Amino acid sequence: MEITISKFDLLKELTATQGVVERKTTIPILSNFLFEAADGVLTITATDLDLSLRTSCDAIVKKDGSCTIPARKLYDYVKLLGDGDISIKLLENHWVQIRAGRSNTKMVGMARSNFPSVPTFPATGAVKIPAAVLKMLISKTIFAISNEESRYTLNGALMVLKPESITMVATDGHRLAHIVKEGASFDVSGEMKTLVPKKAMAELSSLLNNADIEFVEFAKDESTLFFRIGSRLLTSRQLTGQFPNYEAVLPKENTRIVPVRCADLQAAIQRVAQFADERSGAIRIRLEKNEMKISSSSTETGESEDSIETENTGEPMTIGFNSAYLLDFLKAAETEGVRLEFKDAQSAGQMRPEGDEEYKYRYVVMPMRI
Amino acid sequence: MGFSDFHGNAETVHRLREMIARDRFPHGVILAGPRGSGKYTLAQMVAKAMNCSEHPISDGLPDFCGRCTECTRIAQADALDQRFAEAVEAREQLRDTDKKETRIFIQTHPDVMVIPPDPPQMLVKVDQVRHVTATMYYRPTEGGHKVYIFSESSFMKEAANALLKVLEEPPEFATLFLLAETPSALLPTIRSRCITLTLAPIPVEEIERDLAQKPEWNARQKSLVARLSGGALGRARGFDINGYLQARQDALIILATAISGGDHSALFRTTESYRAGGEGKEKTDLLIATLFSLLEDMLFVKEGTPELVRNIDIQPDIVKMTGAVPFDWIVRAAERVGEVHAGMRRNLLRSLSLDALEAALEA
Repeated sequence: MEITISKFDLLKELTATQGVVERKTTIPILSNFLFEAADGVLTITATDLDLSLRTSCDAIVKKDGSCTIPARKLYDYVKLLGDGDISIKLLENHWVQIRAGRSNTKMVGMARSNFPSVPTFPATGAVKIPAAVLKMLISKTIFAISNEESRYTLNGALMVLKPESITMVATDGHRLAHIVKEGASFDVSGEMKTLVPKKAMAELSSLLNNADIEFVEFAKDESTLFFRIGSRLLTSRQLTGQFPNYEAVLPKENTRIVPVRCADLQAAIQRVAQFADERSGAIRIRLEKNEMKISSSSTETGESEDSIETENTGEPMTIGFNSAYLLDFLKAAETEGVRLEFKDAQSAGQMRPEGDEEYKYRYVVMPMRI
Repeated sequence: MGFSDFHGNAETVHRLREMIARDRFPHGVILAGPRGSGKYTLAQMVAKAMNCSEHPISDGLPDFCGRCTECTRIAQADALDQRFAEAVEAREQLRDTDKKETRIFIQTHPDVMVIPPDPPQMLVKVDQVRHVTATMYYRPTEGGHKVYIFSESSFMKEAANALLKVLEEPPEFATLFLLAETPSALLPTIRSRCITLTLAPIPVEEIERDLAQKPEWNARQKSLVARLSGGALGRARGFDINGYLQARQDALIILATAISGGDHSALFRTTESYRAGGEGKEKTDLLIATLFSLLEDMLFVKEGTPELVRNIDIQPDIVKMTGAVPFDWIVRAAERVGEVHAGMRRNLLRSLSLDALEAALEA
């Protein structure tokens, strides 16, 4: 293999693939990039076995071929090179020579055959999803995904594609984020449910942030999910297991509606949470006439209370929540106002952003006993 | 290439293959047997058979080809010691901050992972088990079967508890192998969630036949090694005969001095060489094991079953020694050696402990 490529192009692709390369691994091949050159195109592949990313860019290919190169060293080195062309050449015994201007470096890679095979995009059944919509859906749900390894069906978000809508749901058993985009059209028959692992969501989100494209092509086969983002292909192995029946926990009779300004509530909770019990982060929300009081107390740090003016009639009510869960939502909501919807102190609370017509976004939080 | 390469324990191998054939392979398997009995070899063979793309059949049961890309990739982990050393080396080269969080794994095939005990403590740690849990529920590539092999079942407490969770609810496409020299050391809750298969010792004659390929040993050495390996073929193949003969020489001096009394200068010259430090520990462990084996041989002679004697090349010496002492003496000697063994774990001075052993047996 022998190629010449501009530093700018190479660095851009290497930066994009860095997220997939496992830094803390003792499996040597996984800390390598796979370089493949053919027909004027350089393809770079990185994988951690569960997730893989394949990206390509134009290059002057003098000789077709492939090689593997230590990922981190290459990235660090290319960053330090001056602007201009870089030539990469495979020598004997997996040695790779990298030359740029007056710099000349040799690194040793591994045999191409050791690199895990990357699945190829299925020929049929791809669905086009608007990139902006997917990005939105991920940012509104990813924080609610469970980090507990043993609850494996919650280690991803459920994506439900219907001919006219797309839904994404994530939960960790204590709170649930649910967002629907209607009025779109997708090339699916019936309903297509997919559990997207958290790692894949995070990678997808960072790829979408750095790409200027309109649509993401999505497909899946028995074991793998595929996302094509322009010239990049992200694949993820599928998680097994059934996502819980989330529709059953979506509240239906939360009739006590309290509108508040998002920024006010966020600031109030942040202040009050300083004095909450450190382990549980529990705060108390008390609804009184035209006022909402947020308070906390702990034996070690003291107690704190904030109050927010709001329209509210009906009986006073007190309900406890984990402050971190509420803050997660307020950070993700990105609207001026939010609505808190309650039933009683023992039932789940629901939060929705106000004024967003395009997406139906709701967030369900289980109350705490306080 | 195939299961026919596995020596002995035909029944266990047959059972495993039948389970593969019926697609009813258990999710947790404890493979028990002494060091070198082929636990890892067999687990690797099962992993190959489950993922082989050629699906060969022999004797009406699933086998593996050893040639396809799946088999060859899994086979790269056959040389476990070498892969392990490479992984440790790879960790050494990481940045200090990453080093602490990095655990040792060996994975040459996407669906087959070997989890060795993590150095320097040489115990399986909770992070390793957590990594297994985090990756296990991803579907295998190309419809294969996921295999996780814990090459030694020495778990840290939290790791063993974390493993319970996976054993309780494994995905249908994964199998965990726990390779154990002493399965009873595993938590009873782990054992009850797995099936245990024990690799029995291979007959001496069979090991002797296999050792015929070793040109560097003469016939006498081969028959000695075959008897000393305890029926474990892997141990026989890698037997350090010179190290053993040296240890036996020393053990004989200790026993002979204890039996005959008299001049102690030879004894002191010998025990002096058992020093502190890692090398001395290995040497002492070997000496203790050798003492036990000699005392056992003496019991065989005493009780009229000389055909069981392992140290056949010095059988006349053993018979002579046995004749000079009563049965009780041998039993007491075994107990004393046991005490020295326990003392070593408490870091007693090695040479002095051995001198004391001799003195106690003499009195």
